[in-house]
Amino acid sequence: MKKILGTIAAVAALGAAALLSPAMAESKGKIYYMVPTLLDEFQTESVSAIEKFLKEVGYEPVTLNADNKTDLQQSQMNDVINLKPKAIVLAAVDFNALQPSVEKARAAGIPVMVFDRQITATPIDFTSVAGTVEIGQVAADQIEILLKAKNGAVKGKVLQVLGDPSDPYTLDIQKGFEEKMKAFPDVKIISLPAMNWEASNAGTIVADQLVANPDIDLIFVHAAHLAVAAVASMEAKGKKPGDVLLVSSNGAPVGLDLIRKGWEQVEVEQPLYAQAAAIAMFADKVVNKQEIKAGTYKVLGLDSVLTIESWGPNLKIPGAAITKANVDEARFWGNLKAPADPITPVP
Amino acid sequence: MNLATHRKTVEFVLDNLVWLMLIVVLAAFSATIPDFFQLGIFVNIIESSTFVGVMAIGLAIVIIAGNMDLSVESVAALTAMVTGILFSNRGIGLGYSFTPEWLVLPISLLLSLVVGGILGFTNGWLVVRLKMNAFIVTLASYIWVRGLVVAMSGGRSAQDLTPSLRVIGIETFGYIPLIAWIAIVSFAIFTFIMAKTPFGRHVTMIGGNAVATFRAGIAVDRLIVVTFVLAGAIAGMAGWLLAIRTSGATANLGVGMLFQAFAAVVIGGVSLKGGIGQLPGVYAGVLLLHTIQTAINLMGLPAHYTQVILGGLVLAAVLLDTVKHSIRLRLA
Repeated sequence: MKKILGTIAAVAALGAAALLSPAMAESKGKIYYMVPTLLDEFQTESVSAIEKFLKEVGYEPVTLNADNKTDLQQSQMNDVINLKPKAIVLAAVDFNALQPSVEKARAAGIPVMVFDRQITATPIDFTSVAGTVEIGQVAADQIEILLKAKNGAVKGKVLQVLGDPSDPYTLDIQKGFEEKMKAFPDVKIISLPAMNWEASNAGTIVADQLVANPDIDLIFVHAAHLAVAAVASMEAKGKKPGDVLLVSSNGAPVGLDLIRKGWEQVEVEQPLYAQAAAIAMFADKVVNKQEIKAGTYKVLGLDSVLTIESWGPNLKIPGAAITKANVDEARFWGNLKAPADPITPVP
Repeated sequence: MNLATHRKTVEFVLDNLVWLMLIVVLAAFSATIPDFFQLGIFVNIIESSTFVGVMAIGLAIVIIAGNMDLSVESVAALTAMVTGILFSNRGIGLGYSFTPEWLVLPISLLLSLVVGGILGFTNGWLVVRLKMNAFIVTLASYIWVRGLVVAMSGGRSAQDLTPSLRVIGIETFGYIPLIAWIAIVSFAIFTFIMAKTPFGRHVTMIGGNAVATFRAGIAVDRLIVVTFVLAGAIAGMAGWLLAIRTSGATANLGVGMLFQAFAAVVIGGVSLKGGIGQLPGVYAGVLLLHTIQTAINLMGLPAHYTQVILGGLVLAAVLLDTVKHSIRLRLA
């Protein structure tokens, strides 16, 4: 009797599970997300967000971590191409080096969507970016305001702490920032890279520069986790919050905490959730090889412009400047409150 | 000058060549690089040498004993993450505290030493008991321990370390940060142990000729395991210091430090074949590397130059070691 009851219960449970998970039952297929590394919070949260949003629109996401190694990501791409998924979402370790892999995937009929790290040298089925150059430009706009408020004019000394000098991501931010700052010849910029994006390297750079250039007005670091080490060095040199202005980029939780504590004035956010949501919104169109039209789209409430570029449809989502006034808003991914509303595919 | 005095002088110069190099480099940079010659910069050099310096102590002891430990960087990253997770207040930090608050200092240090010591013991046991190659065993540890750091943290960071620990990274004694004093005192203690105690002499003997040392009745296997435990525990302390300096931990904390530690050990005159080397030379090697690093920071040169210079220095150190060896043979 016990056996019969157990069997009935198991069958009922299986039936209920099947009824309660229609998405799994009607999966539209696998989409691989090729994440460049899991060593920073942006990438870690991007995995959660992309997986969540892709599931909401009916796909089965699988994530592969390239550990910041170009060769590993290339071989992962080769492996995935053989598995014939519905699509690949790529955040490239190296924009240029992955170009042949993208071409190989597309030649095999697998559409490629680019997330966050733009590839412009070869056709891409869909690109969702904040624009790394633009992040540098937004930072420059904010730094202009901060220097003017501090010195009465846009002048002074800025220490720019880059990430690893072999990473095109940080070089793009530097490009955007320095291009805009050219308009202010009275601002002296000292640029130094933190090898391997390692926090203690950034801390050492800040410690050295605060001694050699005690008149530094502002420090601009290219990632929030580097800002933490920069603050630790400032603290060790007897500085108080606000003595040296601090601007960072990517919008990680630690950066938002530094704003709340008064050490950091501005964090330039990469709109992670919106970038990830856009991938899910356009996934059906990409997988089914339907036309994607240029125009303005609302992505999680953000007006985002889709243009048809030489490399394909390119959706640019505006990065936001986070300050003490808006730091607690849920839309910033650094507050780790992923949007609850389900994603609706673009018709 | 008689022959004995002449020989002693030459030996002294050979033994302390890296210190002479350090003095020459410091003088040259002071004369040529604007803003270099000031107390604050020298203090920075000492402070930034702390982590690689402490790590290099354990590494040097293992190498002097004729082995290899590639795991020290990952062990340091693990203890930094453990410290960060347990005693940070933000990110993935759990914010544990004690009453009285200062207890967090000895407890967190002890925990780091124990975690590092256990990993070191594992390496040593595999090398001695299972006769596995130290290079392979510690390479495996280098990989899996870093993986464990990423897995533990989920790629997230622990920030805002408790003020009772941060005090070590902020306060100074005699212009030198407390964090740097810990490195200096560690070098002093282990220099004494290696030079003046039977343990140090036996470790050096093992590196020179393990078979002869065994025949002399010394417990070679046990001492080799002890060197690995020391390397692990000392690397654990380096990680503890790293977490204090950066007020928490990120998953990539300490990346690249293994090669700097190796470079410092080689530049400091420790023979990779074992049996030769003194810890003060290693400290000079670390200071030399960080002097160059600081100079590059001040000159605003691209960071790639550090690696080019580092590689050149290691090569020069090995060449110098060969020259020193042939001079010593001639003197003998």
